[in-house]
Amino acid sequence: MYKYQSSKNSGAKSWVFQRISGLALVVLMIGHYILMHYHPDSGHTYDAVLGRMQFSWYRIIDLVFLTLGMYHGLNGIWGIFRDYNLKPWLKISVLTSLFILGIAFVAWGYNIIFSIPYLRNITLN
Amino acid sequence: MPEDTGKIRKFDQKEWIKENISYHKDSGSWAWIYHRISGLALIGYLFLHVYSLSTLTAGREAFETKMKAFTTPFFMALEWVLFIFVLFHSLNGIRIVLVDWADGARYHKMLYKVSWIAGIILFLVMGYIMFSHEILKLFGK
Ligand code: HEM
Ligand code: HEM
Repeated sequence: MYKYQSSKNSGAKSWVFQRISGLALVVLMIGHYILMHYHPDSGHTYDAVLGRMQFSWYRIIDLVFLTLGMYHGLNGIWGIFRDYNLKPWLKISVLTSLFILGIAFVAWGYNIIFSIPYLRNITLN
Repeated sequence: MPEDTGKIRKFDQKEWIKENISYHKDSGSWAWIYHRISGLALIGYLFLHVYSLSTLTAGREAFETKMKAFTTPFFMALEWVLFIFVLFHSLNGIRIVLVDWADGARYHKMLYKVSWIAGIILFLVMGYIMFSHEILKLFGK
């Protein structure tokens, strides 16, 4: 999929980030899917989540996953809008809406992870 | 994203829904359409996912009440179906990156076929991972 564009803001950076975040997401998403399904309980019970959340590195993986996934997905949607040569005011409205949506859901997701208690005092593990 | 197949044809991205319904397609435009649909499905799922995980903040009871709905056979099957989107978007995404950065334009058609074969195998393997416990239960362990 080649894209040739010639304005100052060519979108080349977001094109590169789309590919890099995509590659990171291959590992994160497929890993997540296996982890959540190797046993029927592992993806669907509170205890399984609580158990994982005792390891801070696991929380960090989730936060990175959420951030990259949101960025990649919303940037992808923005890419679709870019196909349509929108009027400037529409462009700004769409971009702002996507941005707010992303920030809101990332904040919500972070809040979820941080709200899960540590059962014992464990530092980085 | 018209593909170089010898005949010259313009693929109109703005009319992608119409293009999807129209009759002339080669593997390249199919891949592109599926990539878009699977990407939209995944980001849609991610929103729903965060929403349904939000009961985690309310503790065990709230979360498990919500999750009960998602452990019915119907939703288990849906989770398997979702994996089709995950697989297509992942494998085709890798193919796109190879085409862009690793001279994949020379072998992208072969890659596309290999991706389908790998995808079908991985889909079945995931089916086994997801349902082996249930199947074994059916036969009394
Ligand atoms: C498995 C890892 C993934 C890889 C390798 C990957 C790769 C890619 C690439 C390379 C593109 C750009 C296509 C182009 O510029 O023509 C793209 C687009 C997109 N991706 Fe992903 N992606 C992955 C995961 C995800 C996830 C988790 C989501 C949703 C949260 C997502 C949503 C999207 C969307 C909405 C688009 C835009 C589709 C379009 O422009 O037609 N992707 N992906
Ligand atoms: C249907 C299969 C899936 C199940 C059963 C599942 C289950 C879960 C569970 C239980 C969590 C809680 C945190 C944890 O234990 O790590 C979680 C978190 C998460 N999942 Fe999934 N997941 C599935 C598919 C996906 C897919 C396809 C994506 C990518 C689009 C995804 C993205 C995430 C993210 C980003 C988080 C972190 C959320 C946060 O930080 O609040 N999941 N998942």
